[in-house]
Amino acid sequence: MKNTIYKLTIVLFIAGFLSSCEQDLEQLPFDEFATENAFKTAADFENGIRGVYLQLIAGGLYGGNMLSTPDVMSDNTTLSQYGRFTQRASHNFQNSANNTLRGTYQNAYSLIYRANQILFYAEGFEGENKNNIIAEAKALRALAHLNLVSFFGKIPTQSGDANSSLGVAYLLEADPNIEPARLTVQETYSFILDDLLDAKSKINSTNPEGRMGKDAVNLLLSRVYLYMGQWQNAVDAANAVTTPLASRDDVVGIWEDTNKEGVIFYIPNEQPVLGNNIGVTWSQGGVTSLIPEYVASFQLNNLYDLGNDIRRDAYIFDGSVNNSGQVVNFNGIKKLYARPGGQPGTVDYKILRAEEAMLNKAEAYFKLGNETAARQALDQIRTRRYLTPPTGETGSSLLSAIMLERRLEFAFEYQRLFDLKRWGLPLQRGGAGDLADGSGTPSDVQNIAAGDNKFQLPIAQESLDANPNLVQNPGY
Amino acid sequence: MKQKLQLLLMFLFLFIVQNAFAQDKVVTGTVTDDLGVPLPGANIIVKNTSNGTQSDFDGNYSITTGVGEVLQFSYVGFQNQEIAVGASNTINVQMVAGAQLEEVVITGYSRRSQTVQTSAVVSIGASEIAELSPVTSIDNLLQGKAAGVQVTAANGKPGQGAFVRIRGIGSLTAGASSPLYVVDGAIIREEDLNSIPNDDIENITILKDASTTARYGSRGASGVVVITTKSGKRSGDAKIKFSSRFGVTSRINPNFDVMDAEQKMQYEAELYALGVSAAGSSPGVTTLPGSEERQFLLDNEVDWQDLILKEGIIQNNNVSISGGSEKMDYYFSVGHDRNTGIIDDLDGFERVSSRLNLNMDPKEWLSLSVNVGYSRSTSDEPRDRNNVQNPFRAMYDYNPYETEFVLDEDGNIVVDENGNPVYNPTHTTFNVRGAILSEPAIAIQNNLLGSVSAEVSLFKNVSYTFGFAANSINERTESYSKPGGILDAIIGDPNNPGNKLDTGTYRFDMTISNRLNYRLNKNKHNLDLVGLFEFNHNENNGYRVRSIGFASAELNTQINASQVTLGETTRNILTLVSYGAFADYDYDERYLASASARYDGSSNFGRDNRFGLFYSGSLGWNIAKEKFFNVDAINDLKFRVSYGTTGNREGISRYAAQDNVAFDSYPGGSATRPSNIGNPELKWETTTTQNAGLEFNLFNRRIRGVADYFIRTTEDLLFSIPKADESGVGFIFGNLGKIENKGLELSLQGDVFRNDNLTWTLGGNIVFLDNEILELPEGEDVTPGNAFNILFREGAKINEHFLVRYAGVDPATGAPLYYGADGNTYRGLDLPEDEDENRVLQGKSTIADREGGFFSNIRYKGFGLRADFVFKAGNWINNFVKSNLISDGVNIADNQAIDAFNYWKNPGDTNVYPSPLISQEELLAVNSDRFLEKGDYIRMRNITLSYDLPSKFTDRVPFESLRIYVQGQNLLTFSKFFGDPEVGISSGETINFANSVAPGEATLYSYPNTKSVQIGVDVSF
Repeated sequence: MKNTIYKLTIVLFIAGFLSSCEQDLEQLPFDEFATENAFKTAADFENGIRGVYLQLIAGGLYGGNMLSTPDVMSDNTTLSQYGRFTQRASHNFQNSANNTLRGTYQNAYSLIYRANQILFYAEGFEGENKNNIIAEAKALRALAHLNLVSFFGKIPTQSGDANSSLGVAYLLEADPNIEPARLTVQETYSFILDDLLDAKSKINSTNPEGRMGKDAVNLLLSRVYLYMGQWQNAVDAANAVTTPLASRDDVVGIWEDTNKEGVIFYIPNEQPVLGNNIGVTWSQGGVTSLIPEYVASFQLNNLYDLGNDIRRDAYIFDGSVNNSGQVVNFNGIKKLYARPGGQPGTVDYKILRAEEAMLNKAEAYFKLGNETAARQALDQIRTRRYLTPPTGETGSSLLSAIMLERRLEFAFEYQRLFDLKRWGLPLQRGGAGDLADGSGTPSDVQNIAAGDNKFQLPIAQESLDANPNLVQNPGY
Repeated sequence: MKQKLQLLLMFLFLFIVQNAFAQDKVVTGTVTDDLGVPLPGANIIVKNTSNGTQSDFDGNYSITTGVGEVLQFSYVGFQNQEIAVGASNTINVQMVAGAQLEEVVITGYSRRSQTVQTSAVVSIGASEIAELSPVTSIDNLLQGKAAGVQVTAANGKPGQGAFVRIRGIGSLTAGASSPLYVVDGAIIREEDLNSIPNDDIENITILKDASTTARYGSRGASGVVVITTKSGKRSGDAKIKFSSRFGVTSRINPNFDVMDAEQKMQYEAELYALGVSAAGSSPGVTTLPGSEERQFLLDNEVDWQDLILKEGIIQNNNVSISGGSEKMDYYFSVGHDRNTGIIDDLDGFERVSSRLNLNMDPKEWLSLSVNVGYSRSTSDEPRDRNNVQNPFRAMYDYNPYETEFVLDEDGNIVVDENGNPVYNPTHTTFNVRGAILSEPAIAIQNNLLGSVSAEVSLFKNVSYTFGFAANSINERTESYSKPGGILDAIIGDPNNPGNKLDTGTYRFDMTISNRLNYRLNKNKHNLDLVGLFEFNHNENNGYRVRSIGFASAELNTQINASQVTLGETTRNILTLVSYGAFADYDYDERYLASASARYDGSSNFGRDNRFGLFYSGSLGWNIAKEKFFNVDAINDLKFRVSYGTTGNREGISRYAAQDNVAFDSYPGGSATRPSNIGNPELKWETTTTQNAGLEFNLFNRRIRGVADYFIRTTEDLLFSIPKADESGVGFIFGNLGKIENKGLELSLQGDVFRNDNLTWTLGGNIVFLDNEILELPEGEDVTPGNAFNILFREGAKINEHFLVRYAGVDPATGAPLYYGADGNTYRGLDLPEDEDENRVLQGKSTIADREGGFFSNIRYKGFGLRADFVFKAGNWINNFVKSNLISDGVNIADNQAIDAFNYWKNPGDTNVYPSPLISQEELLAVNSDRFLEKGDYIRMRNITLSYDLPSKFTDRVPFESLRIYVQGQNLLTFSKFFGDPEVGISSGETINFANSVAPGEATLYSYPNTKSVQIGVDVSF
């Protein structure tokens, strides 16, 4: 009997100890947070919009490909034999469905998802920052689509058939199950414009550091109008940009993060918040132990009037490496190189600058036939870059001067490939090698004919596999 | 006299107990052989229970049992005997020679004799484990041992485990195809098996079909491996066993050669002459043959494989003490293992371990047991990524004319301002020899595996068992980029040199189980019923901290760093609640039946889909036990069939059913990021297994065989379903499609000779496996993540390579040709465009369709010679390493295989590689099956020559037994594959162990497999 009591006591004790187990099936994540609770307060939406911006610096966007590929696929760079041959296929215009910018494609749409998600929740929110949040989300959505269509589609003014050619899918809602088809270029730009115009009407004139304000939206509008060939609209949008241009004395400091003159939109890149090594897209190592992926092309280097044009010093530096006892010299790319004495590759993300509005304006005025205004706009830039600025061109030499200045001003700054495309120019690298004096090994591919369909990157095979409604670009 | 006194006391004790518990009594006796000599170590088990003991050195035993119970006596080489317990308290047994020890099958919830088992199970005992390859992780040991168990070593890293797949791939998701491992009731991950020393293992039972795996319900779908650790012998003197072995290990030599300095420079010159401009800056072009510069390079030639690799050392020492008294037994062990691996300057893997297992009967109605094992391991973690930091890539890529250190004109090593030699960055810009020293990474794991249980016998035939089992793992990895080191010089912050990352994980798995057991043995009817209530809690906690700015390379902890750049902690929990009922029945061991039902609820599914019901039923018939069956040659002939369902909940994130966001940082504050797109419909993946088996023992059990045919169908597969790139979400976890594995397993073993002095046993097993993807959602193809070129398509095999077919070199032009979708051959840039997909599935899967092993074991007097072979056939491996070594000039900067010389030179050349003249654009344009190779191989996994000191000698020395042996591992391989055919992980940091969807898909410079030769000694006294 006594034993029976013992036994029952043990069993009852243990059974009681276990009775609460089934409640333990209700588990909530520790490292995450329910989405439905994440967009309720004004602070939630501020967090939310920063989340969209954060995606902007993903590796396929301004954390990598957007920073370098438009110049890698241009005459501004030469493949270095001393690096790791990154982006070699792009540099050689040898992209294929198996080797393309899928990361850019995915990152951009993932940014768009975030923007659409915040726009969805913003509908049911009535806080005072609502309009500004909507405006930023739409501006970001437009920028992501613009980058996509610039890489994977034609630019409206590129050729007669451009507007009716394949653009990209434009997503207006966060739908995980969507399998959209590509729009035409014209339709794509029309949506981009809608978003930017709505953003312009709602956005704060300035927003905190790392976020776009009214100037950024106007600058993007002027670029989009320029790409679309709506010249007067491009001028008007550029005129709405109020940020002053950087003076000659400031130019070097912009790229060393000692001033932000003329910079309309940038993302501070500081530990512990970010501190990313973005310059790795161009090179690794110190000035005398440089491992460049790409160097400034000898052609571009020679276009800068050394001593007269401050941008030679601001954009290119003399780098070298000791290769088995021999010192090899490079024209290193300085735009993402370093802060003075800082870790190589860690500088702020500078995404939009006022100088572009001025050059957009110059080009648009020229197209409108207003050479005087075009030259004035161009000289606004040149007087701030040269000790003795060239001036006085007319006719086609004025257009050439505008195009040259755009190349010089925005070398290594996410424009050159798109400019070549829309101007219908061929790629001509000029045959020089990868070393500072033009010797060394030239890039494998030197020339690509104007209008070659390789100027539009292929859609990745995996993207095609995942979406049956997607159509590949011609020529792949 | 003393023994008699003990016996007397025991009887006295028994008498008292008898009064208290009429149903329980202690039976004692002596077990002797057919000549009347006492048999020490004979097994005595109360039939259909886990209650058992062993006879002591004088053949005496004692066991607590009850009237009406049946005692089973067994001993190696003797026939089993069963004797019912009657009124007498003494049962003396004389064993009859000539029979096998009956195998015991441990399913985790019960222990059954193989004779009455109705399930496809394989049991590997301690003696066989001891004879097999000494490996650090026991999963490697299972290879070739059990039909239908496919084992692929992950890679050759010391302490690394293996991918174990039972009866094919049961799931399409990464990490979900590994079996469930249960060690003394505690759940353990496949990756953590290396924390259990082989010497501590008593038995490994592999459960293959649903009639046993269904008892593990939601976690049994990929099979279950039940590991039981050793315990001591009751009423036996302490037995002390010492095992030690020592040996050397090295890389399995590749079956190809790379170029030496002269060859590489010749190759460079040849290619430059052909017009490969990239060769222009190479020494083969910039120096002339016969010149002083050329001679300088040749004089300083380096064999990088020799330099980076070394011959490593393997060492193992283990001491165990086991024994017991009448009411308790114990097993205690301490072990030390070391395997330096094969990378020069690294220490590899080291483990210390200890275990104490105790079983005791404090009351007649109460048994307690405690099993506790602790181990601590340290492991060097060299970079295992396909980049310039990987030593196993570097040893092939570095050119033989490149030196380890920078040399001056006179050939002397250049030193830096501190007097240290300056490493040559080589053409890859990164010197791994320097980096091995300046970029140390180490993983330290503390593993506590423990279980306690209490069994209370409530009434006659009814007992209650409470069990608590836990596995607690504390792991820390530290990687340090030393200030001024190779990596720091490239990516470091000059103002804050050095970079240290500490990562810690605390994993905890706890199972609390309650079992009510009812047992009935009456008139040849044997019935065993178990009711189960179980709770499992699994928790992971992690941290990561990174700092930069170290004043000295010797400073290691982050307290000395100038700036913290990363700090985070993480946690997640997964729970499971289970109810179960299991029944086993046999009539006179002739008619057998089992059934089970289990109802499991798991926290990682949608709220309404949390619970799943899993069940099984099986029948068996041992014809040889029928009276009408009277064939002397056949000792046993058992048919069995089973049907059942099991589940899987692995392969998805723990909160996959819920819509969640997470927060990152962005200038200005927090930044919201979608972290999971929830799927509230998420539910169990269910596998249905049908099995039919035949077991036979012939000619007085000299020939033993098992054959099984199975069909496994898995539906509602858990999967991260890829979404359109445009959706922006990547993938969503869901239940998708249906797959089927079916196969035939055969294993046969026979004693070719069997007499007093000589036994020669031959045996082998094989599985013929066939698998198919039956259904995918909406019939659409799926490209899985965490693989290279795998495509899932309805009607295709699982894990088929999806590539364009290579058609060889055009003899006219030297260009590589490929088959287009229309069946015609094209050059790379001319392939028909997208509309017709040129890539095809060709039935070439990463999964072998035939796999197994065979062995020969000869024993002559004290000598033994055992050889174990493993083989695998029918799988295809994409050999990326080969494609880099024979790159047609694309990788001219890297060293190449000698084979690369065999390129197309003149029109009409056949059996050649493409001409380097063909543009890189064309050479790289097509992702083809050119380097897809058959992975077939036969490997001599183990060969052991041993000598056991005969007992007539051990009588004169203080040892009870002494065994010495020499063992070789992986000494012979037969394969046509370029490189080593045993491919598991392609590259550990590209697709890690846990995330591998298709292990063995490709080679990508992971840690090479190794061979070893060891000598060892086992002594007990």
